Amino acid sequence: MTKCPACLERFGPDGQRALAEHLATRAGASDSDHVRWLNQNVGRRRTDAAGILRALVPVFSVGPGGLAGWIRGRFVSKFFGAVPHPFVAALQRPARPVLLGYVVEHQHFLRQWVRSCAHITAATDDPDVIRYELDNLVTEFGGSGPDRPSHYELLLRMGEGLGLPRDRVLATPPLPATRRAIDGWEAIARNEPWVETMAAMHSLELIAHRDLVRDGATLHYFDPAILDDGTLASAARAFLREGYDADVGHSEEALALIARHATDAAAREDLQSTFLRSIDLFDDYLIARLQRANDYAA
Amino acid sequence: MRRNYTGCAICDSTWGDVWAEVEGERLFFCCGICVTQFRHLVDRIKASTGWPTVDAIEISGDRRGRRCVAAHGADRFGCFVAFNADGDVREFRPEAPPSVSR
Ligand SMILES: [Zn+2]
Ligand SMILES: [Zn+2]
Repeated sequence: MTKCPACLERFGPDGQRALAEHLATRAGASDSDHVRWLNQNVGRRRTDAAGILRALVPVFSVGPGGLAGWIRGRFVSKFFGAVPHPFVAALQRPARPVLLGYVVEHQHFLRQWVRSCAHITAATDDPDVIRYELDNLVTEFGGSGPDRPSHYELLLRMGEGLGLPRDRVLATPPLPATRRAIDGWEAIARNEPWVETMAAMHSLELIAHRDLVRDGATLHYFDPAILDDGTLASAARAFLREGYDADVGHSEEALALIARHATDAAAREDLQSTFLRSIDLFDDYLIARLQRANDYAA
Repeated sequence: MRRNYTGCAICDSTWGDVWAEVEGERLFFCCGICVTQFRHLVDRIKASTGWPTVDAIEISGDRRGRRCVAAHGADRFGCFVAFNADGDVREFRPEAPPSVSR
């Protein structure tokens, strides 16, 4: 916990006390990212730096499930908890505006996704990581011939299937919250170690993970019944099915690679902060999909 | 304006230190986004009810969505509200206020 989970400022090894003081100072200045982080991770009652320091310990404490288990647990409680994320709730049986909000904002996410994967590939020396990221670039953006279109292509087809031409999609700039999230992920890719970028990005794939129930999730990304009950346009079904059928082991593999490279305590704590920053960005980004959906509501 | 929260007018947090005037009264907020949210909420309530002012507001829930019961004199108005990351209203739904005060 030597990197600020709200702004990624560094405090060096054993900088925990300096981090707690930084959080108290930034919150005292009413900075919304820091106040939000404290509200959601420490509690809504103000304490001093010593109180923050004590409260950070359980937040960063890694249990018997190791770093991967800690990441899954934090992710589940944020997006699949007692009150699931509103986008997840809306996607259970999605109406057309929700899917169109998904298409318009997610094109920007996926283009950042490949940039982030490319940053990781450029910085790592681990052949397993390079292979993993190349596979990602192909699946998400490149595609493998006419029979295996990329996730990006399937997204644009979903828009077309719902009556939104791709040139209109491609000409629509991101909403401010999507822009901020993308800028945040780009800054992580440029400024943080590649293993942290990997944690920031590939942890987000847990959103569609089918096996989070064992980590306490009470629902899936969407109700799997919609893949078969004829309520979805076929292009929407193809897009959602592609994510659903993706190897459950895919995001597990990323978490294993991350755990392999973040072995000492200081590196692990920095990575935890970068992950926490990334899921706050993701939270806002998912809300932006719903905000965009309002443009298409009758 | 009577409120059930002692901290930030919309989220009850006691972090931060923003004071902003809403409906002629200086209120405490944890951050600027909460100021924006609260002002939008009061505007929506007034637009929905036609009230000139809001005398009381009681809020429950969390950032995923909040239920509110507002009062003007003897009149009451209930609603569900959710915001986007900038503090603008993403969803606003009038709801029947509970018949007994919680
Ligand atoms: Zn910070
Ligand atoms: Zn607040």
